Amino acid sequence: MMIGKQLLSFLLSLRTAIWLLCLLIIMLFAGAVIMPSHQEFQSIHAMPLFEWMNVQASGITWWLWASVIILVLLSANTLFCSIESIIKKRKATQWLLLISPQIVHIGFIFILLAHLLSSLEGFKGNAVAQEGTALEIAGSTVMRIKSIDLQIDPRGYLTGWSVDVEYLADGAVMQQDRLLPNKPSLYKGFNIHVKDLQAYPFKAILLEVSREPGALWALAGGIIFMAGTITLIVLKSRRSERLSEYI
Amino acid sequence: MLLAFAAFPFYLFSLWKRPLLYVGLALQIAYIISRGLTLGRLPLVGPHDTLTFLSASMIAFSLPFHRRLREHLQYYSWIALLAALFTVFALVAKQHNTPLPPVLKTLWFELHVVLAFLSYALFGIAAVLGALYLKRHDSLLESMQYRSILIGYCFFSLSMIFGGIWAYLAWGTYWLWTPKELWTSILWLFYSLYLHARLRQEWMGRPSAIIGIAGFAVVLFTYLGVSLLMKSSHSF
Repeated sequence: MMIGKQLLSFLLSLRTAIWLLCLLIIMLFAGAVIMPSHQEFQSIHAMPLFEWMNVQASGITWWLWASVIILVLLSANTLFCSIESIIKKRKATQWLLLISPQIVHIGFIFILLAHLLSSLEGFKGNAVAQEGTALEIAGSTVMRIKSIDLQIDPRGYLTGWSVDVEYLADGAVMQQDRLLPNKPSLYKGFNIHVKDLQAYPFKAILLEVSREPGALWALAGGIIFMAGTITLIVLKSRRSERLSEYI
Repeated sequence: MLLAFAAFPFYLFSLWKRPLLYVGLALQIAYIISRGLTLGRLPLVGPHDTLTFLSASMIAFSLPFHRRLREHLQYYSWIALLAALFTVFALVAKQHNTPLPPVLKTLWFELHVVLAFLSYALFGIAAVLGALYLKRHDSLLESMQYRSILIGYCFFSLSMIFGGIWAYLAWGTYWLWTPKELWTSILWLFYSLYLHARLRQEWMGRPSAIIGIAGFAVVLFTYLGVSLLMKSSHSF
């Protein structure tokens, strides 16, 4: 009972949030020092984060494990504090002003959930392709590169490109698409984009097929976070304007 | 190039004649617009352009605080000195006059960069206000520092969200583990820490003012230090 009470007061404390934020900053700072000095981090994007962390030596990943633990505690602290605040202040007059920080917190939780999903179930695969190359991407679906077009200016700078692809199932064309800079091809939950291009001695592209299960959660989290932040700023500035009228 | 330099003496001489600050700002804005027209794009790639934009943004954002800070003349002097310093750095930095890589030709990139530098400018102003608060102990300065950081935090968060959308469209992921992203997270967490710490009585005033000042050191390292010393997705 005593331990339960202590745990609850730990999770309900703003002081906990502050110290957890301090610890998280220290862990990421350690990561920022470790990361550039170890070659192993070159492969961090080749597989889901947790899978990568499992196969690497703990000597270089300890700060990531510690950050995950701190983020779990911070999420619990955020949730508990938000729930308590809503319960305590439910009868307050400036309800929107009091609820907007909690909306910000919900957005933050969504973003963390997005990272968790992508770190657990994300997928990435690379392949070098030329015009005519056919790649199996999901089950019996095959993606064929129809054409690669590179626009190069007289000084030799790449100014634009496009890649036409088609998806085939059992030999029949299911869908056609054009990949452009900042316009990937989305097919059955997969994001197919061009990572690199080569013009000489022959046209070739480095394709990346990825799946980010957290992407929509991250977007939703971002929108909620900003909605809360902007509401908070607008309401606070209105309140301070009203206050300054009285002073 | 003469127009790029023109703002510098006006910022310096504004230490004695404050209206010169506005002349300097007008010249710097004219330079940014002329460069944008020459290049046919938003001139915000490379340290020359971004430092110029940061300098102009600092001056522009410092003006709305004018009404409340009439008694703190040092506020303008420090902002003008910082802007002059960034202008000098911009002048010695190499201009990026080559065509943009195709991946940068998107509104998401433009929003991402513009908002990031507007937030940096607000964090810079907050650092000046924090330093003045430590010297003068006027709670108005501390309250202005808080406002500056809150709006800067909003811009910075928006910049990160737009950056995430852009990265997803360009590279299939909204997050990349590179030193720049890591330092960006440290910066965002640092100002999150400021906003939370300031809610506690014992952290209000001097401690939070110091965090606000230290935050700008993190800004400068994230912006200049990481870009110059480490390889990242932000090097083009």
